[in-house]
Amino acid sequence: MPLTSRELASGFAAIAARMEVSAEELNRLDAEIGDGDLGVTMVRIGRGVGDVLDDLPDDVGMALTKCVQAITKVSGSSYATVVAIALMSAAKACKGRSEVPWSEMSALLAGACQATMERGKAALGDKTVIDALDACRQATAGLDEPAAIVAAMGRAVNEVLERMRPQPCRIGRARIFGDKTVGLDDPGMVAFRCMIEGIAGGK
Amino acid sequence: MKKILNDVYSYVDEMLVGLCAAHPEYYAQTAEGARVIKRSDAPIKGKVGLVTGGGSGHLPVFTGYVGQGLLDAAAIGDVFASPSADQMVEAMRAADGGAGILCIYGNYGGDVMNFSMARDLIEMEDIRTTAVVLADDVASAKAAEAEKRRGVAGLIYAYKVAGAAADAGENLDEVTRLARKAADSVRSIGAALTSCTVPQAGKPTFQIGETEMEMGMGIHGEPGVWRGPMRTADKIAAEMMDTLLADQRLAAGDRASVLINSLGATPPEELYILYRYVKRRLDDLGVKIVMPLVGRYATSMEMAGVSFTFCKLDEELERYLKAPAECAFWKV
Repeated sequence: MPLTSRELASGFAAIAARMEVSAEELNRLDAEIGDGDLGVTMVRIGRGVGDVLDDLPDDVGMALTKCVQAITKVSGSSYATVVAIALMSAAKACKGRSEVPWSEMSALLAGACQATMERGKAALGDKTVIDALDACRQATAGLDEPAAIVAAMGRAVNEVLERMRPQPCRIGRARIFGDKTVGLDDPGMVAFRCMIEGIAGGK
Repeated sequence: MKKILNDVYSYVDEMLVGLCAAHPEYYAQTAEGARVIKRSDAPIKGKVGLVTGGGSGHLPVFTGYVGQGLLDAAAIGDVFASPSADQMVEAMRAADGGAGILCIYGNYGGDVMNFSMARDLIEMEDIRTTAVVLADDVASAKAAEAEKRRGVAGLIYAYKVAGAAADAGENLDEVTRLARKAADSVRSIGAALTSCTVPQAGKPTFQIGETEMEMGMGIHGEPGVWRGPMRTADKIAAEMMDTLLADQRLAAGDRASVLINSLGATPPEELYILYRYVKRRLDDLGVKIVMPLVGRYATSMEMAGVSFTFCKLDEELERYLKAPAECAFWKV
């Protein structure tokens, strides 16, 4: 079965549930190199999107747009904006279609990666969620089955977290902490892993 | 902190209520409590909608310039903080007369990201949008990296020109072209004598000695190019003019509008002392000053200091700059 508005709703519901569980860990990670509210942000995103899931339009692009609107309503934090930018890129690509083949996932991730780089002024290697998006783009190329896609994304994010851990953060508030970020995981990447784990657990 | 307020968290909301209550002929909130201001007669059918947005603390920028011949709507954030994309979408809806929306805003990270997101959202509803981003502060980056510059008081020239073009019935592409032309024609630089205090922070944004000044400072207190002993008005004006003229040549026969802007606490008397110097220098160069503006046009709370903006004109820009416009803070 392709990606539909109904599939989206169940994926987002699983993510929202996972955020309630992961909030404390994300707050703690963020507090080490930021302002310690990433978990709060993710819970707000989860609840905000959760409120619109029962009423998503069939058009996958418009359904994603509705989720983005919900995110921009509940949080103005930079990570929430990055999530919104990534989803909006997918929304544009899916507009006018009630079914989107799973084989497009890699292209949707590529678009999300490009949009967040352009809008967020970050580059690959800066140790942000963009590195994770790009790793997932590569890992999902050629896949067309949801379980395989989610599994590949989970592996890719773990690998990129491992690879980037010895690097310093090069952008955003974390950049100020410089070498203190060496050896630590980027909280934004960990939040992305939580989202993937949420979907994997919901399957 | 010594400020006239009730509660630091209601500072912006109470200010907006008062602004609309004092000037109902110009401004209305889109909903009770909304941090979105629209023209009291918006949307105007068939007219390109002009929208801006940014943090509070800069009046008349941003909300103040909503009015006939100017902007249709503005989204306002907390003091010095970007409004959300959601508020920007609301401002665009309020301004949508069916001919598309032009967003004009300053080059600040949060505003840029949120406006991009807001435009994406509204375009999903098949409302066409364009954007012109002001980057006129020459002190914030060298000419080779002009796209990284902050947007400051030059915004008002883009508002004015675009507002006049939209009122004249020009289409979205043409209004955008003219706004971009105005944006490309302005250069600004500021100098600060004292800090501002953000209500929620409760203390001055930066410390500066009683006998010191800072050249090139940003309107949120971003560091300038040097800090040193206070100078005379003519010496301050000379350096600011030299910097602007090094970035944009003005020669005999050219025409330009100049804005001598108080950052909040500097009185008109001191602005006119500076204008006197600017006028003499431009007269000597053979540059004709058109429509000089001296006063508070873009402020930084109660910061003492001044900014200069030069807008080089051609026949087209001059015509739109002189066209009638009206808001509570500026009448042409």
